[in-house]
Amino acid sequence: MRIKILGSGCAKCNRLEQLAREAVAELGVDAEFEHVRDMEAIMAYPIMTTPALVVDEEVKVYGRIPSRDELLGWLR
Amino acid sequence: MPDIVLAAVQGGLASLASYLAVHVLLCLVPAFFIAGALSALVPQQSIIRYLGPAAPKWVSYPAAAGAGSLLAVCSCTIQPLFAGIHKKGAGLGPAITFLFFAPAGNILALSYTGVALGADFAIARIVLALSFGIGIGMIMAILFRGGDAARLADARVFGAGERISGRALAFIGVLVALLIAGTLKADFLKAELAGFDLPWAGAIAAQAALDRWIPADAATGAEGLSLQGLVLVGLLAAIGAAAWRGLGQVDTAFNRLTWVTLVLAAVTLICAALGVAVTENGLSVTLTGRAVAVALLCAALLPLARRFEAWDMQQWLWETWRFVKMIFPLLVVGVFVVGVIRIFIEPGWIRAVAGANTALANLAGVVFGVFMYFPTLVEVPIAKMFLSLGMHPGPLIAYLMADPELSLQSILITAAIIGKLKAWTYVGLVALFSTLAGLTYGAWVDGAPLVVLAGAVTAFVIVLVGVLHRVERSCKSA
Repeated sequence: MRIKILGSGCAKCNRLEQLAREAVAELGVDAEFEHVRDMEAIMAYPIMTTPALVVDEEVKVYGRIPSRDELLGWLR
Repeated sequence: MPDIVLAAVQGGLASLASYLAVHVLLCLVPAFFIAGALSALVPQQSIIRYLGPAAPKWVSYPAAAGAGSLLAVCSCTIQPLFAGIHKKGAGLGPAITFLFFAPAGNILALSYTGVALGADFAIARIVLALSFGIGIGMIMAILFRGGDAARLADARVFGAGERISGRALAFIGVLVALLIAGTLKADFLKAELAGFDLPWAGAIAAQAALDRWIPADAATGAEGLSLQGLVLVGLLAAIGAAAWRGLGQVDTAFNRLTWVTLVLAAVTLICAALGVAVTENGLSVTLTGRAVAVALLCAALLPLARRFEAWDMQQWLWETWRFVKMIFPLLVVGVFVVGVIRIFIEPGWIRAVAGANTALANLAGVVFGVFMYFPTLVEVPIAKMFLSLGMHPGPLIAYLMADPELSLQSILITAAIIGKLKAWTYVGLVALFSTLAGLTYGAWVDGAPLVVLAGAVTAFVIVLVGVLHRVERSCKSA
């Protein structure tokens, strides 16, 4: 699984990455992380606000931090 | 020489004391909680859906201003949203309006301006930033109309999504009511409902000691530190200590310190709303209408909060604490430094440069704002210092318009997203319009009738919109 965190390096983006990593560790799935900070690359996705979570090139959530249960559902 | 050092430190402390004074706390504490609630509880889609590429001008420009004041309390939201509106959504014009309005129109800037400089400055700031933000956006859209075709149309981003829920509206409404109850100068809030005396023989001596350390000075606007203020500073320190874990780690789970923090915050607000006077026998405490209103509104938040899922409330508190951590320390340092600098500036210099409402004085305010970079909200204590040194309100507004909107950092970010030419055109327009805003407000303060000024501004906007339509039509027929 390829997990991308889109964010300009703000507190929320780092928090999202941390939560996603915790969820991955909890599920024990195999995942590769990338934190995309380049604005051009971020804007290539259909999102308007950061942070955003992209799993296998599909945008799961943007503009807010999802709850733990939501994360576990997407990363299963 | 030691006298100068002592005076400088006292100046800094006096500046801090008036910053942490009763009425500022009653405004800033709720404002931070409101900022957190806007960030955590308002779904961004509820406003972004009005900013699509097909949105008509009279929808997209106000929506861009709304996004600026509701969604963009911190710069990490401003940058992607600005790029998004420009590249995918309503285009350069609304994106510029959003960028211009966000630093002046958000709840923290607005309420802090109101309480530190006066409601008239806050109203002038929001009205002028709104009208000129839309104006600058429209001019930019005309000047660079050719480039808009290259945008990536991406309609699915702007689909109808979540709206603001009723419970979020009610919750934020009560928080705003709390802010207003704490700051409004109304008779029923000042009414004294009950009073009691706390016997304390040393009260006068203690207050005298505080006055010696931090002298009140009406000429500089320094308010000194009251015993009540001292208690509040102590409470604030306690909140900070409890919030470090209580709010900083609330996104994993509510903990005991979370509740300690919230109770302390409510106690601080109620204490700040009480009337306290030093008498010969001790302290005379009065229960004011304000204290009752603040206590009732704090209590009303609890049942409203229970209607949310726990995760929403955790997000709210986490965001609030994030804003406090980001803004408050820099603000405290900034306020102290402003107080120190104040000692070394001769009022004569300021009056010579910006003592009257001339074009040159307004331009001076703008230039100072562009070349100086201050952290979020520190522009307000700086403006207060200028006001006490004799700056005319016109140039002061010009400075307040230009400073948060333009800094080297924001110019560089803007240039990276929209290109150098557009970015510097924007800088020029902001300088021009900020000067104009200062002149308008200054003329109003000097007694020019409101009707004439409103007429002039309205005529200006009508001419602008007319030109926009003409240019667009001739483009289409060509």
